[in-house]
Amino acid sequence: MGPPSKGNHTPFLLIVGLLAWLVPGAGHLVLNEKRHAVIIFVAITLTFCTGIYIGSIGVINWVGAKPWFIAQMMNSPVVWILWKLVENGDYPVYGRPNEIGQIYTSIAGLLNLLCIVTAVYWAHLRRIETAGD
Amino acid sequence: MSILATFVLATFTIPENIGSNPQSMLWLLPLVVAIATVYKATKIQKIKAAHFLKEAVILTGSIIVFMIITALVLCTLAWLITE
Repeated sequence: MGPPSKGNHTPFLLIVGLLAWLVPGAGHLVLNEKRHAVIIFVAITLTFCTGIYIGSIGVINWVGAKPWFIAQMMNSPVVWILWKLVENGDYPVYGRPNEIGQIYTSIAGLLNLLCIVTAVYWAHLRRIETAGD
Repeated sequence: MSILATFVLATFTIPENIGSNPQSMLWLLPLVVAIATVYKATKIQKIKAAHFLKEAVILTGSIIVFMIITALVLCTLAWLITE
């Protein structure tokens, strides 16, 4: 993706934010920060997968754990697809595995939110620097 | 679908058997590493492997030390209140 002109600043920021949400690290990849992108992708994906490994995909629960689900949704829209798989209640999980699984998946989501905000902020800063040249 | 793929997917449909004991809290240590790694990735502008690792390890250690201190303070408070 080429450098943005002054006219398309906001759409560019939206694209960066959307990509960063779709795939963790993609926002940084668009900004040509490959090392950041790889680290973010690996760390967040691994954290999320560890969460659903410990607690099973049953930890994704829009009905019984709305605040956790909102944090989990920050990972990627894939979480919504997983919720559609488990919404019939075929994968119940209780107790400590549920707690640890929810904590892992939700923290992964909140970390991705931090990365989304950072990617958008860096994109904004670069736009300002480009305009200042 | 291959047997391997089925096996991998199946591991994500059955929860692990983790008891409600103090040792289960050790599961939160990998989470600290993940938090420190991602946080440092958002803070460091130019990533060099050695520098990044050092920063992430320091932050991980700081969080763990702070958690231990907090736990000790809370245990002491609980002991003072209940004695």
